[in-house]
Amino acid sequence: MKHYDIVIIGGGPAGLAAAIKAAEQETSVLIIERSTELGGILPQCIHQGFGLFILNKNLTGAEYAQHYINQVKEHNIDIQTDTMVLEITKDKKIIATNKHDGLFSIQAKAIILAMGCRERTRSQIKLPGTRPAGIYTAGTTQRLINIEGIMPGKKVVILGSGDIGLIMARRFTLEGAHVEGVYELLPQPSGLTRNIVQCLEDYDIPLHLSHTIIDIHGPERVKAVTIAKINMKTMKPIPETLRTITCDTLILAVGLIPENELTKTVGLTLDPLTNGPIIDEHMETNEDGIFACGNVVHVHDIVDDVTTTAENAGTSAVQYIKHGLSHTTPIPILPGENITYTIPQHLRGQTQQIPLYFRVNKVIKNAIIQLTADNTIITKKKERIVKPPEMLKLTLNRENLPTNQIKNITISARPAP
Amino acid sequence: MNNKKLLKKIKRQCHSLPLKNFKVTILNDIVTITGKAPDYQTYLKTGLIIGKIKGVTGIINNLIYPGYTPIEKKPGKSKSLGSADIVIIGAGVTGCAIAQELSKYDVSIVIVEKAEDVACGATKANNAMVHSGIGETPGTLKQHLCVKGHFKFPQLAQDLNVPYINCGMYIIITKDSLAQLRVPSFLKPLLAKHLIPWIILRRGKKMGIPIKRINKKELLQKEPHVTPEALLAISSPSYGVTSPYEFTIALAENAIQNGVTLHLNTEVVDFIIENKNISKIVTTKGTINTTFVINAAGVDADHLAELAGTREYTIHPRKGSIILFDKEYIETINHNLTYFHYPTQTHTKGGGIMMTTHGNIQWGPTAIEQKQKYDTSVTQEELQHILNKYTHLLPTFPTSALITYFAGVRAPTFTEDFIIRPAHHLKGFIHAAGIQSPGLAAAPAIAEKVIDILKQEGLDLHHKKDFNPYRPKPIRIHELSYEERQRHITHNPLYGRIVCRCEHITEGEIVDSIHRPIPALTLDAIKRRTRAGMGRCQSGFCLPRVAKILSRETNTPLENIIKNSEHSHLFIGTTKNLLKEENNETL
Repeated sequence: MKHYDIVIIGGGPAGLAAAIKAAEQETSVLIIERSTELGGILPQCIHQGFGLFILNKNLTGAEYAQHYINQVKEHNIDIQTDTMVLEITKDKKIIATNKHDGLFSIQAKAIILAMGCRERTRSQIKLPGTRPAGIYTAGTTQRLINIEGIMPGKKVVILGSGDIGLIMARRFTLEGAHVEGVYELLPQPSGLTRNIVQCLEDYDIPLHLSHTIIDIHGPERVKAVTIAKINMKTMKPIPETLRTITCDTLILAVGLIPENELTKTVGLTLDPLTNGPIIDEHMETNEDGIFACGNVVHVHDIVDDVTTTAENAGTSAVQYIKHGLSHTTPIPILPGENITYTIPQHLRGQTQQIPLYFRVNKVIKNAIIQLTADNTIITKKKERIVKPPEMLKLTLNRENLPTNQIKNITISARPAP
Repeated sequence: MNNKKLLKKIKRQCHSLPLKNFKVTILNDIVTITGKAPDYQTYLKTGLIIGKIKGVTGIINNLIYPGYTPIEKKPGKSKSLGSADIVIIGAGVTGCAIAQELSKYDVSIVIVEKAEDVACGATKANNAMVHSGIGETPGTLKQHLCVKGHFKFPQLAQDLNVPYINCGMYIIITKDSLAQLRVPSFLKPLLAKHLIPWIILRRGKKMGIPIKRINKKELLQKEPHVTPEALLAISSPSYGVTSPYEFTIALAENAIQNGVTLHLNTEVVDFIIENKNISKIVTTKGTINTTFVINAAGVDADHLAELAGTREYTIHPRKGSIILFDKEYIETINHNLTYFHYPTQTHTKGGGIMMTTHGNIQWGPTAIEQKQKYDTSVTQEELQHILNKYTHLLPTFPTSALITYFAGVRAPTFTEDFIIRPAHHLKGFIHAAGIQSPGLAAAPAIAEKVIDILKQEGLDLHHKKDFNPYRPKPIRIHELSYEERQRHITHNPLYGRIVCRCEHITEGEIVDSIHRPIPALTLDAIKRRTRAGMGRCQSGFCLPRVAKILSRETNTPLENIIKNSEHSHLFIGTTKNLLKEENNETL
């Protein structure tokens, strides 16, 4: 059985950044990746917008991935691709399988979980109707078009205005397909504003808010979908607005779910607000020496944030191995008014400057973001507009905490009076 | 009952129905009705009312209703596909069970199936219950064959290497079980705790199946998540669950092992009859000479009987939808659970909360009468209905852990019973029709009954000396210990490479399924044999990868890979081609 200081599960942007940071500090590092290449989801992201903040460049996903893959190659980092991890034990043994080595185990001193996320399915949103060929989640079509060179369809309806749906609306159009429209259940779009502009408006693809799909017609291949406007109070379709659209493809961009099946094998429970493991400011989970970073913790909007937090995980894992990571009594960081979730979920260390990530649960104009420790306001920040799809950041300065014995910290967002 | 009396009774019972030109004829206790019904509801109601009358052995419901379209005859091919002693029409669980049983004898057998794979009708879309028979109306053929069949199931599943679990069924009685009964409310708990169990236990004894009373204390121990409103339960311990499509594939493969020929994508369009004897069947792929035909064609059985001039029943399609939940919650039940409700309905046992052999939980099925034979869409109302209905049984179950839902269409007749008998006026034509629940459990017994009928009809059946009842076990890597897995990987490295990440299905298993005696040539056929695509992400991850493997293994261009039936194309071509088309047009 092979031994490594740090084993990283997942070779996407999170795994790559964590590996590089760890390897810089002379620890033995292994990345295990289930795909045949490194990069995670990035190689199929041929659009730009990656690295704007962290690299000051406007790269495609594939270029961003290659930037980090090159660094991985420069360091002494071992890589196992086309390899699936089946199980992780509490004593940090990893059981994996591939066609060259068969089944094998690896012993790690620390593990970094970087498995990313998967797409919400048609069934999970309970779309009624038939089950014909031609219904795809957006990420699957991105793989088909950009990696396999296959066109899934030519008359497309998209449900969900998440970023991947918007990107694919443009992608299908550039390949000569006709995108009839993007339909979004909520009264506001789920994706970044820049994507609404660059993918829909620039291509005259209509966006219908407060709409959903109420029937799918097949039965062998998608023939049509029936859409309807939703009454926002009752969440029921408004009968007069029913419309059947002829199409051959239905694309679903209805959300991403952190992929934590392996996390569960080690006995960790997930935070129901994020669907990811609970972590502290060192990206450490509730199992000592097991860290998590990237979309497996919560779904990020921009890869630059994934890289930054993954670097933290890499550094922390090295710290854990070399000196140990002592834990103080956890201070929970709670989502207060209008906040969906916060990351990390609690503080257990001594770090002075702690970046906090959080999302609001509705659009607020002229918002005041507030950080309170028990009943004392520590930080107040004004934002012109805050939206659920756009993750927010706040740095917690330990110096500003009133005492060391705090019960909890709360983040809230309110409209200015 | 003589025809005159029967006629009188029918006219009396249908007197108040809004029918026009209503005419009734009776022959061999089979009732034919003609006329006009104002809607499908009335068409159904009339048929079902007559179906309940004792002595009626079949109903041909020729009432015209709005939206009725007669089935068009399709053209066949005249090329000869050879001959066979017996042709079985339909490769669902009924047809395949009959084929496997028949393959024990020294006769030539051909199965013809119009779909691209076996098990494509209701067989692949039911709740997999191997019913004990306790829920069936006593005295019916389906009840009798269910009891017989379910006792044979465990051994058969073992011989064929098909998953089967003897899970048992708890029939839960709550104070609401007698909500519809018109007695003073103080009596209801007494009746619920004593009279109902006594009735069910007595029925079980009569049927020859083990039934036990489970008091509340034991119930809560054995099923800690069951509703606190449960008063007690009745246990039917011989209940089982299997994988209905794997069972059917295994039956068909074992039949083929033992000499049966299977023609897929072959639809029967006509029969050639000489001197009131079957002489040939005509299909879309060619003709087959034969003298014995078994009609096991599911929802199409009445149409086929009509083509042969031996229509003795009408099938009224009834859809059943089922919701599947995540494996994570398999431990919320230890037995299948169902409600007891008075009054009991004749055409549905009410469904329940059940496990699958793969560790998922199922809720359902619904029972929706519909005009269309092939409509397997699941409606919003059905989803809501299922969630609302069964949440009372298991109130703490996380219904958000839903993975998928699907539907199948049952093929019930108006007498709501199986029709397994020789045709009245056509020698050699045997009906194995009207199969609804408990068709799966009854399948082994249906097969034996058909053999008996064939013998009575003059077919010489001698046992084969070299019949092999054992189907080799397919390799299911995720079920094996790590040592066993490693052994397989050493022989075939593709068993080490996981393609379906949710269910941990390997490339080796997918390749195997493509090269089996009944090759899996579509994505859904691979899915049914390997489970690739049945997990949480519902093939979001593995679809491109499985399609590529199928393309490679069958030398089919990737863009031509299909999901299931002929027109279920997954893709429309390679990239850049749409742009080429556009550019050509502008030139």
